[in-house]
Amino acid sequence: MDGEEGLKMGTSLKRLDTIIGTRQLLYTLLIIFTLIPMFFPLRLPISISARTKKVYNYIDNLKPGSYIFIDFDYDPAGRGEIEPQAVAMMKHLFDKKCKLVMASLGTTGPVMFEIMRKTNPDIFAGKEYGKDWVNIGYVAGGESAAAGLARSISGTVAMDAYGNPIGNLPLIKEADKAEQFALAIVFTTGTDTLYYFVRQWFTPYKTPLILGILGVMGPAAEPFVAAGQAVELMVGQVAGAEYEVLVGRPGIGLGAMDAQSTSHAIILIFIILGNIMFWSVRLRGEKR
Amino acid sequence: MEMSVIWRRTVPQLLVAIILVVMTALYFLYIDKTTKATLNYWDQLLINYSIVIAALAAIVGGVDLARYHVALIMKREREQIPFSLITLFLEVVCVVFAFYALATGVPILTQPQFSWIYLNLQVPTSSAMYSILVFYVASAAYRTFRARNPPALLLLIVGVIVMLGNTSLGFVIWPGFTPLKDWIMTVPNAAGYRPIVIGVGLGTIILGLRLILRKEVTWMGRRD
Amino acid sequence: MIEAIQIWLSAALVIWIWSFVYKDNYLYRLAQHIFLGAAAGYSIGISLDSLNKTALVPLAKSPTTNMHLIIPIIIGLLFFFKYSRRYYWVARYGVGIALAVGTALAFRTAPMANIIRQVNAVLLPLWTPDPVKTLNNWIHVVITLSALVYFIFTVTPRVVEGRPTITYRLYDAVLRIGIYGMMVAFGATLANTIMTRLAFFISMNLQYLQPYPLESLSAIILVAIAILFAMRRARAG
Repeated sequence: MDGEEGLKMGTSLKRLDTIIGTRQLLYTLLIIFTLIPMFFPLRLPISISARTKKVYNYIDNLKPGSYIFIDFDYDPAGRGEIEPQAVAMMKHLFDKKCKLVMASLGTTGPVMFEIMRKTNPDIFAGKEYGKDWVNIGYVAGGESAAAGLARSISGTVAMDAYGNPIGNLPLIKEADKAEQFALAIVFTTGTDTLYYFVRQWFTPYKTPLILGILGVMGPAAEPFVAAGQAVELMVGQVAGAEYEVLVGRPGIGLGAMDAQSTSHAIILIFIILGNIMFWSVRLRGEKR
Repeated sequence: MEMSVIWRRTVPQLLVAIILVVMTALYFLYIDKTTKATLNYWDQLLINYSIVIAALAAIVGGVDLARYHVALIMKREREQIPFSLITLFLEVVCVVFAFYALATGVPILTQPQFSWIYLNLQVPTSSAMYSILVFYVASAAYRTFRARNPPALLLLIVGVIVMLGNTSLGFVIWPGFTPLKDWIMTVPNAAGYRPIVIGVGLGTIILGLRLILRKEVTWMGRRD
Repeated sequence: MIEAIQIWLSAALVIWIWSFVYKDNYLYRLAQHIFLGAAAGYSIGISLDSLNKTALVPLAKSPTTNMHLIIPIIIGLLFFFKYSRRYYWVARYGVGIALAVGTALAFRTAPMANIIRQVNAVLLPLWTPDPVKTLNNWIHVVITLSALVYFIFTVTPRVVEGRPTITYRLYDAVLRIGIYGMMVAFGATLANTIMTRLAFFISMNLQYLQPYPLESLSAIILVAIAILFAMRRARAG
């Protein structure tokens, strides 16, 4: 191949690169690939990671009737990733006869809790409000709210999310402070919230933490586990799907796994194409 | 020094410094059980006050948005006016129903009209807003995951392993992807992110010290 | 009837917002402004709820013992002074107290939570009977230290003419390891970001669109018309 021809080849490769990189093409393929499992369910097997299993065993080994604090504050977009974790873990906790106190440090938390409760009524079946579970609702202030609730729930808020005076709730009389909770679970889409709980719940009161978070937050939250500040992380939709398998209650998490696989596949294909393009352009250039 | 400057700058700054010093002392000081209980009472009081203040601050944030859209309407841009009116209208309607709930003693979240708006308008739009990022991430992955040089090659390899470890696709290809992903996350990745956690800690301490020493002024907003 | 409208509205709003990735259009802007208004109104409402349970209810219930709660309410109301040209500085009292308490809470626990605990986590035995553990510990220590050098304690050794000195080579090696360590972290983050974004997208599909194909289709047709309109306008203008 002579120089000129190689150059021509190089430009046409570059053009191909631009065509593949055209956003509309990638977007359309992405939409098609996420929709494939809707028409052709693949039912791919899913593995259970050792880390999700660890969370499962930790909750399974809790003393029946333990008090658990749950910070429920993911935003609407995070529902697909965190709700599967929340539903599966809460089912497990309720099965273990644990008593749950929910509160939200983020404004959208209470809404997401209500949506979760309405779409998964079986989880709450047979559980009595005030005795088996309580929802405090939104408390403003971020880190201040975390610190206040850790010191005393009844000393921070005067009523719950549904207008009941806090003094009328038997559960809060039994579990009012961070020390009284066997575990605090943080379901959040905000990285700051993780710092709030590590600093205001774990550091002064040594309350064990399990962090249920978005995939994108996972890597940055790893140092908390490595330093023993959190028991374990539940990262992203895949962790939720794994927990759904463990408790035997398939939901959104498992339902999305096939679409995750097909859409990851198209992105991986694009990554491979991108590298082939890049190297063929570069090698042609060098030959010339 | 002029008297007004003292009230405008010095006193708020001193107030911040005093609260910081006192709350830090309240946390570490231990004399005996009864004193600790008293100290805890004051600590909780300050925390409760800041929770109340934070709620009012969030309300001011909502008012800011309304002011912004009123200003847009005043500019009389034909294209923008109907949209700004919609934003303003929805915001006002929410606030009216929230106050109505407050006045009648109904918990705000269960007020039917208020909850209709957030369930049917706020939740779908806000999740859709974030979910369009998927398109940008997909094209970013196409452009960034290129083995240009050795560090980029490492980025690519790690990225592909984690992507496969996150899905059933990887499990079908090779069951080892899940444990390999877990290893990457808990060992090299945790080590790589640890300096950031330490950095956040150092930043917090430096911010606290700057506030105590009255070197930090950005929070006061405009200059006078 | 109302339920049908709700379902259609939710599906349509989602599709209209997604249409932005193809082209900006009127229906996208409509959905975007609905989002802004509803979100702002919601955040005011929910903040009132927090204010209600932390201050107003206790005040109404036992006014004498909780009289002091008037203080934070007044301080919080001072925020509104920021709109005043003359008395804007009064707002600083509110901002200052909220900032001071928040910073103090972080300030007093950060040394333990962010620094001592994290440094402790790196104090690992470098020789253990288990070779895998030994390797992991080495990776932990070396990457943390070199990334720390790269990020926080950055020093640049002098470059001398001729052969590079040993200090320079050592420093260069540490920086390289730091960069490779961070590449692992960034690669993992980017891959997880892809999972999160796809999860957002897929679950929107599962919740709002797939169960309601007719509603979705009609919204798609509407937005296609809007995009065509926008393209024609762009060409004309």
